[in-house]
Amino acid sequence: MERLRRHPELQAWLILAIPVIFLLIFFMAPLLIVFVYSFLERGKYGGVEWVFTLDNIRRVFDPLYFKTFLRSFYIAIVTTLITLGLGYPLAYFIAKSPPSRRNALVFALMIPFWTNFLIRTYAWVMLLRTHTGLINVTLMNWGIISKPLPLYGNDFAIILGLVYGWLPVMVLPIYAALERLDESLLEAARDLYASSGKAFWRVTWPLSIPGVVAGSMLVFIPSLGAFVTPAILGGGKSLMIGNIISNQFLGAHDWPFGSALSMVMMIAMLIATLIYFRWTKKSELAT
Amino acid sequence: MTETYAVELQDVVKQFGDVVAVNHVSLQIRDGEFFSLLGPSGCGKTTTLRMIAGFEMPTSGALYIHGERQGYRPPNKRPINTVFQNYALFPHMTVAENIAFGMEMQKTPKDEVKRRVAEALAMVRLSNMANRKPKQLSGGQQQRIALARALVNRPKVLLLDEPLGALDLKLRKAMQIELKALQEEVGITFVYVTHDQEEALTMSDRIAVMSNGIVHQVGDPETIYEHPADRFVADFIGETNFIPVKVISISPEIVVALGTGEKVTAGWVEEGIAVGDQAVLSIRPEKMDLLEPGEVPATPAENVAYVKGNVTHLVYVGTDTRHTVALGDGTKVVVRLQNIYIGEEPWEIGEEAVVTWNAAHARVLKE
Repeated sequence: MERLRRHPELQAWLILAIPVIFLLIFFMAPLLIVFVYSFLERGKYGGVEWVFTLDNIRRVFDPLYFKTFLRSFYIAIVTTLITLGLGYPLAYFIAKSPPSRRNALVFALMIPFWTNFLIRTYAWVMLLRTHTGLINVTLMNWGIISKPLPLYGNDFAIILGLVYGWLPVMVLPIYAALERLDESLLEAARDLYASSGKAFWRVTWPLSIPGVVAGSMLVFIPSLGAFVTPAILGGGKSLMIGNIISNQFLGAHDWPFGSALSMVMMIAMLIATLIYFRWTKKSELAT
Repeated sequence: MTETYAVELQDVVKQFGDVVAVNHVSLQIRDGEFFSLLGPSGCGKTTTLRMIAGFEMPTSGALYIHGERQGYRPPNKRPINTVFQNYALFPHMTVAENIAFGMEMQKTPKDEVKRRVAEALAMVRLSNMANRKPKQLSGGQQQRIALARALVNRPKVLLLDEPLGALDLKLRKAMQIELKALQEEVGITFVYVTHDQEEALTMSDRIAVMSNGIVHQVGDPETIYEHPADRFVADFIGETNFIPVKVISISPEIVVALGTGEKVTAGWVEEGIAVGDQAVLSIRPEKMDLLEPGEVPATPAENVAYVKGNVTHLVYVGTDTRHTVALGDGTKVVVRLQNIYIGEEPWEIGEEAVVTWNAAHARVLKE
C-alpha cells in the first residue's frame, strides 16, 4: 500500500488494467478468432477444419456477394446523407431553443428508444406492407391511388427503417457541437457584413463539423452492418451484407466464409472512415 | 441647419417582455468623438450599444447613423463595426483570415484585402502573428486583433463593449492609452461601453451615465465629476459625502440647514427641489479641509462653511489620508487630505476638528 501511495502512475495503471483486460478478452480475442477462421476450411456441421485456405476471401469478391457489398455501401451512404439532412436542422432547432426547453426536446428525441427496436421495425411493416399496410390501404380507400405503392420489401423500405432508427444518433453530436457554439461569433459575422446565410456557412457550419463527423460515423457504421432492418423491411428479397453474414453463421453453417465477409467489411469500413476523416479535415481547413 | 450626429437616439425604448432595459433614451453622439456609456451592470448600456449595432431592434423610438434612419436594417447593412466583450474571434480562422473576413464579405478585391490586412496588423503591432490561430494568442493580443478586425473595415462608428474587461489591471491601463491614441489617429467615432468610471474618465470626450435604463447625465469627464446632475451620478463617479440637509432658501442664495442646525450655503441646487424639502448636500472628500478649532477665522470668509466635529477614523492610502469626521449630529463625512506636509502633526482619532469647504463645491441634490 505504501508503495502504491508513493507512485500515482502505478495507481493509474491499476485502474486502467480492468478495462484493458476486459477489452483484450472480450473484444480483441473474438476479433482474432474471426481473423483466423477466415483463412480456414468449413467443418461439416458448423465449426472449422484447421486447414489454411484463401478460398473464403476469394469468394467474398465473387460478383454474387460483392454486389450485395456495394449495395450495402450505397444504402449506408444514402441513409447517412438523409439522416444528416434531417438531423442537422433538427439539432439546430434544438440548440437555438431557449435553454429551459432544450432538455425536454433532447428527451423527446430519445423516447423511441424506450420501445424495443424489433417492435418498432415491425410497426413499420404494418404501415408499409404492400396490400395490407396502413398507408396503401388508406390511400386506396380515399381513391388517391389505384394500385399499391411499392413501399415494402425494397431498398426504400430499408433506408426508411434505417433513417428512422438512427436519426437521434445523428442529432445528438451535432446538437452538442451547436449548443457549444458561442452566439457572439455569429453576431461578429453579421457585424462584419455577412448575411445570415453567409454567417451560417462561414461560422456555424465549420464549427459544427466535429459533430457532423461523429454523427455520420455513428449512423454509417451500424447502417452498413445492419441486419434486423433489412431482414424485416427488405421482405426477404432486399438484403444487405449483414444478412449474408448472419446467414453464414446461423443458416449455412459456413463459419469461415462468414468470418471472411466480416473481415472484409471491417477493413472496408476502416478505409471508408479514414477517407471521410481526411476529407472533412480538408474541407474544415478550406473554409 | 441642425447638426448631423454620428449616432442619434431619439426617445428609444427597449423592452424584453415586461422588463424595460432602455427607457426613453435620447443621445447625440458627435462625429469623431470618443463617447462612453457608463453605468453599473444591468443599466441598459450594452442593450443601447446592441441596438446601435443592429443586434436588437428598439421597441419604440428612432435611431440614426450619420443622419440615416436605421429602422430594422440588419447589422450587416450598417456602417458600423463592433469589438466584442469576449473578442468573438473566429476560432477556426487564422488571425489574417479573421481580419480579412469583413472585407471578403464586402467583396473587396483580393490584393486590396491583403494590403489592408497587413496595414491593420502593423497598426496593432502584431504583423508576425498573421498565421496564428486566435487560441495561440494572449488576451491582450486577441483584444488587439479584435480591434484590427473591426477597424480594417473603416467603419463610420466603432462600438466597443467593455473591450478591456478581461485584461489584468496593468495591461488595461496600457490599452486605455493605446485605444485613445488610436481613436485620435483614425478619427473614427468610438462608442465605448464600460462600468469602470476611471476608464471612462480617462478616455472619453463625453460620457453618458446610465442606470436602470435611463440616462442620468451627459457631459465631458470634468463636468460629470465636478458637476454631477443627481445623486446617482455623484455616487457612481468617484467618492462623495452626502450630508442630509433641509432646504432653507433657494434664491437669491442657496441655503440649507445641517442636522446640527447650522446653516451653510451651496453652489447649485438640483431642479425640482423646493424650499422646506429634505435633500442631501454633496461634497467630494478632496474638496474639504480640516482646521484646528483655533484656526477658524474670527470673521469667517463668505461662502465658506465651518462645521465642528470629531475625527473618528484614519485610513492612510498613500497619496492621501482619509479622515472620517463625525459632525455634531452624528453625520459622518470623509475628508481626503494629501500627504504633502512634512513635519506637520497628523490628526489623531478623537481630536476635535472643524470641517471646512467652499460653497461652490457643495451641491444640493435630491435624496
